[in-house]
Amino acid sequence: MTLTTHKAILVFRKDWREISRNWQVILPMVVIPFMFSILLPVLVVIIPSAASTPGSSLSGLDAMMSSLPNHVKDELVEMTDQQIAVYMMSLYFFAPFFLIIPLMASSVIAADSFAGEKERKTIEALLAMPITDSQLFLGKVLVSFIPSMIVTSISFLIYSAVVDTFSYPLFGGRLLLPNATWILLIFGLAPTVALASIGLTVVISARVKGFREAQQISAVLLIPIFMLVFGQVAGAIVFGPVMVAALIALLAIIDLLIFRIGVKLFRREEIMTKLA
Amino acid sequence: MFSIETEGLTKRFGSLTAVDHLSFKVGEGEILGLLGPNGAGKTTTVRMLACIISPSEGSARVAGYEVSRDSLKIRQMVGILTENPSVYDRLTAYENMDFFAEAYGVSDTQERQNRIRKLLEFFELWERRNGKVATLSKGMKQKLAIARALVHEPPILFLDEPTSGLDPESAKGIRDLTKRLSHDEKRTILLCTHRLEDAEKLCNRVMIIRNGRSVIVGTPEELRNKITGQPVLQITLRSLNRKIIEAVKELKHVREVNADDSVARLMVAVDDIEVATPEVIRSIIYADGMVLSANVVRPSFEEAYLKLVSEA
Repeated sequence: MTLTTHKAILVFRKDWREISRNWQVILPMVVIPFMFSILLPVLVVIIPSAASTPGSSLSGLDAMMSSLPNHVKDELVEMTDQQIAVYMMSLYFFAPFFLIIPLMASSVIAADSFAGEKERKTIEALLAMPITDSQLFLGKVLVSFIPSMIVTSISFLIYSAVVDTFSYPLFGGRLLLPNATWILLIFGLAPTVALASIGLTVVISARVKGFREAQQISAVLLIPIFMLVFGQVAGAIVFGPVMVAALIALLAIIDLLIFRIGVKLFRREEIMTKLA
Repeated sequence: MFSIETEGLTKRFGSLTAVDHLSFKVGEGEILGLLGPNGAGKTTTVRMLACIISPSEGSARVAGYEVSRDSLKIRQMVGILTENPSVYDRLTAYENMDFFAEAYGVSDTQERQNRIRKLLEFFELWERRNGKVATLSKGMKQKLAIARALVHEPPILFLDEPTSGLDPESAKGIRDLTKRLSHDEKRTILLCTHRLEDAEKLCNRVMIIRNGRSVIVGTPEELRNKITGQPVLQITLRSLNRKIIEAVKELKHVREVNADDSVARLMVAVDDIEVATPEVIRSIIYADGMVLSANVVRPSFEEAYLKLVSEA
């Protein structure tokens, strides 16, 4: 382990110990997987599909279906309306929601990263430590990133189990999840989206006076993700492997830029002069 | 070599000059007290020396390193007790110590455990090591913060109000420790304090600052003498008359005599207190005076400090 990583992990360990003892932070992290992996799929996909008359399940999915790649459209031709509804909702409609999970799971921790230390008046001893700006910044990013990715991965596992439990008999023994697109989405796109959001939120947290201010400003970062959700529902974009891979590449560049700019913008002095 | 050297150290926050061309030196093993009212610039000075904020002008060297260039090296050499204890409430006392010890480079686990145990036992916190810091009293948090500042055994210590929030017994314990660290272990200490008692009992030298500027530097004794002159001899007699007053006034070392007939008391200002005192007493006795008591009255350090601060 390099010195940079070691010191960053030290900050991560300290912060995680603190956070894990704060139910106000932990509770949303437990509720989010439950909501997105069990409650929403059951309410939006499974119950309506099981109870619906043929055809009605497809209402609202026309735009999304028309944007699908041809090989997927060919696959849909063979399916019943109920199968199409479950297939579309499970594999496409819900995909962008899994980009919201890491953002929601990390937003409280990232907003609290520096702003919380200012409010609790612990920041001065932290800034006096023999640790570089990039080590400190990285440590604060990691403490938001690692738990949020664990939450996202657990959510994905639960979601796959829920979807497969319902789809297995419906599709004659076929498992819908996991597939290549979702694996790319969860382990490629979600981390890069999360890193971008966390990086920006930590920068904001270092530059504002308090946690609430940091959280309010960082809420704006959810807008691009909601645009992806609505873009997919409207048929403007579809989360296929190519689209996901392209987004990963784009966001990886953005992440790198954010980290570099974040470290450059990180001023111990400014943090000290903006104490709550 | 000086452990701390500053030359024209200045810090501006917009139009406000918090520290204004401050120049001082602190030798190895010396305790320099920074004294001044709220907002005088004490904490800002310490923050610049601890490389938390950078100077707007001037230079400073700590442990031979330049604050503007070698911030990491300086931070490694310095132990800092900040204005607030800066301890993590949700962590235990032990976890707090462990985090800072490792961050300051005490990488060997056994060594870390030994140091933490020694310090927590010294500060009577060992029994509370596994309790969350939130459950500790203010004084205990302050002790923990001091223990944290010492965990990497730094050669230079910046202590901002170390006895704040402590009961008299604990405060004495901290003062004794501070003295020991300076005298026995030759650690250099910069002590920011409002408590004149701490400054007087601990510091080799005191620098009084106001509005970011140095008003005066010297030993507590020198400061007292500079401000209010030499000590005064206070003599109480059974009765006071003209003959006694004249006899005292005629003496060689006597500069001024003030008589208070109502309580039969003489206040005698002299050049050299040790030489003049027996002469004054003798002359009173020869003038048929009866001495009830004789005291050397010195202005208190507090009086001296308040006078300086109000005049600056």
